[in-house]
Amino acid sequence: MGRGILRRPAESGANTPGGLPSRFPGFDVLAEVDHWDAATVGTVLSRLTQPPALRFFSPDEEAVGRALFDQILDQRAEPKIPILDMVDARLAEGQTDGWHYADLPEDGEAFKRSFAALDEDAVDAYGVRFASLPWYDQTDLVQTVQDRDGDWHGLAAGDIWDLWSRYACTAFYSHPWAWNEIGFGGPAYPRGYKNLGINALEPWEAADQSDQDPVGRGEEIEQARRRHAEARTRELRSKDPTGPDGVGDRLSSDK
Amino acid sequence: MSSLTHVRRRNSSAWLIPNDGTRTNHQLRRDMRRFDDTDEVDLVVVGCGAGGSVLMQRLARAGWRVVGFDAGPFWDPDDDWVSDEAGSHDLYWTDPRVTAGENPVVLGSNNSGRGVGGSMVHFAGYAPRLHPSDFSTYSNDGVGADWPISYRELAPYYQLIEEELPVAGEDWPWGEPHSYPHQAHPISGNGMVFQRGALELGIPVRVGPVAITNGRFGNRPHCIYRGFCLQGCKVNAKASPLITHVPDALAHGAEIRAKAMVSAVVVDDDSGRVTGVRYFQGGVERFQRAAMVAVCGYAIETPRLLLNSATKRWPQGLANDHDQVGRYVMVQGAPQAAGRFDDEIRMYKAPPPEVTTEAFYETDPTKPYQRGFSIQTVSPLPITWAEHVAAQGHWGPVLREYMRDYVHWATLGALCELLPLAENRVTLDEEADRYGLPVARFTYSYCDNDNQLIDAARQRQREILEAAGATEVIVIDRTAHLVGGARMSATPEAGVVDRDLRSWSIPNLYLVDGSVLPTQGSANPALTIMALAARAADRLITGQRGGITAQ
Repeated sequence: MGRGILRRPAESGANTPGGLPSRFPGFDVLAEVDHWDAATVGTVLSRLTQPPALRFFSPDEEAVGRALFDQILDQRAEPKIPILDMVDARLAEGQTDGWHYADLPEDGEAFKRSFAALDEDAVDAYGVRFASLPWYDQTDLVQTVQDRDGDWHGLAAGDIWDLWSRYACTAFYSHPWAWNEIGFGGPAYPRGYKNLGINALEPWEAADQSDQDPVGRGEEIEQARRRHAEARTRELRSKDPTGPDGVGDRLSSDK
Repeated sequence: MSSLTHVRRRNSSAWLIPNDGTRTNHQLRRDMRRFDDTDEVDLVVVGCGAGGSVLMQRLARAGWRVVGFDAGPFWDPDDDWVSDEAGSHDLYWTDPRVTAGENPVVLGSNNSGRGVGGSMVHFAGYAPRLHPSDFSTYSNDGVGADWPISYRELAPYYQLIEEELPVAGEDWPWGEPHSYPHQAHPISGNGMVFQRGALELGIPVRVGPVAITNGRFGNRPHCIYRGFCLQGCKVNAKASPLITHVPDALAHGAEIRAKAMVSAVVVDDDSGRVTGVRYFQGGVERFQRAAMVAVCGYAIETPRLLLNSATKRWPQGLANDHDQVGRYVMVQGAPQAAGRFDDEIRMYKAPPPEVTTEAFYETDPTKPYQRGFSIQTVSPLPITWAEHVAAQGHWGPVLREYMRDYVHWATLGALCELLPLAENRVTLDEEADRYGLPVARFTYSYCDNDNQLIDAARQRQREILEAAGATEVIVIDRTAHLVGGARMSATPEAGVVDRDLRSWSIPNLYLVDGSVLPTQGSANPALTIMALAARAADRLITGQRGGITAQ
């Protein structure tokens, strides 16, 4: 089956995005490949091979798209799931959802125009292209698009946000590393499931170890938000001694 | 469990597929009868989904010479389908379409199929009946429309199709009480959460009704609870026409012409009769002669084809004498609520369709809105689950955190009976597809009653999950299913087809699919579409002694 080759990134020994420790220690959905049917194996393992060379996006669009998709899925470290490459392949092959909102062009054109718009906003607010911005400045800019109601550079902002997150999440959560991160059992044919029910596991599934952590769910999320905010402040201070407020002013004065 | 061997005498599909662990009878397909374009076949069926396949099977059995066209492939579950969300993209109708209005409807994987078997290839498997009240909502409640047929006329066909799929579930207390040929399936953590919350609130629930084998049926095996029902059933356990009606149709001399896109129903303006269909196959445009055509392309493609087939005599589109084609399309409001539990639910295990309540289906006089909703389990896989999380506005690290928590969530989905409105319609857009045919523009906006129903369903689901012990509930607004667009009516002015699904204006043009539904209830539409097709077929077979082309 060639699993040894395809279970990259072998160099890090990791099998999650960013090599982050998982809540399901020891669980690796790819260890189950021998129990999958051949058609499914072909489909899933192809995502672990080198993605094809880009065909759809220009280099400028690629730069915006890589940074944007990494923002949406919080990919800050290698090994990364190649979201931009996966979206590029879909658009190059016309594997879109087909339909589009009446107030947006078809998906490929909507991506190109929205990437150019994001770059324009970056230059207006910071004087540099989106991809060259520090991480948290990118975060701020992306947030302004999500917060926007109505028109944004001639595009419906809400529909653009929907398009970005739909394609980015489809790529990211189709990848076995992401399945390992969330404890998803992955393909289940021809084996199926034998142990249905609450807290019922198959022998090859791994229980969530974070249950031992008494911190409530909401608080955990808030902690993630606080870590995010603190890191952002640190980064802005190191770059700009006047502090984050100065950057915020630049952004808001541009609106 | 009742014996279903008698089904074989009227539909041997389940016995015509292999019993050796493979899923497709390749011999049957290789030996399929093939007609010439110049043969005037008795019937051309456009679209081999729930409606078209049942019609084809019934008429082929009765000796009719039938060709079924489908724009998509003739699937082989072994080679073509995968246990994978993103890898199932080709199951959906992804030709260009424009979606508009105040509440534009998400299409593609949400509600549109492609290929032999149609949308039932990727439907969850729920197969409820409509209630008797659905057939007279205008008389009863002052909303919607009355059907030109009654529940009583459709009921025998519900039972036939329930046996042929077959449907599994507990005895059903709602609508007309009835039982199912297969016993209810065991349920997973997701279904148990629903039962627990409902019990706490005193809401009755039942397991089922799902068109998934619980026990062997012919050569179709028992469900293995793999959870990928929406990606096409590789087991042959979940029903779709590909395995429930197409094999028997082939065995009785029907031809399926796959990857053949019908571009127009052709009418002779002088005689006012259909003469066949134009279609593209392999890039070549051809013409198949036919004594009768049944359009079975579902709520968007059926109106689109009629509109694209305009002639001098029908300049606004075939059978569109009263500006009814494309109107009164309906989707169901389908808000879904997910609850977080300390326990591990792992909702991806077992089929998403498990447990239902229809306790809120009928008009409740104490409420400000008419008609109602049903609630069912749904079990989003990771990509779909990410849509739930992203819909809360989460992205970046918060999105990833919520996603890491996937195994702790249980999800319910509602189906709200949105009302048929004339302005919710399919028209032709200026955009064209790769054949140069204008694409469908689908416009949708909710009315006040729609919004009130959706709010009520959202709230009720939240209460159930909280009663089950959820520590957090998130809700996502979405829609499900598509029906209407060429409705049946008692008079020619009020619809497109009569009670036998024959178009009012062209005697040998039939519409046999979900587009003919005047209202939709809160039921998943597949079973009703099949039952309507079985009834239409019976009417045609009964009438054939007078000659199939008799007017």
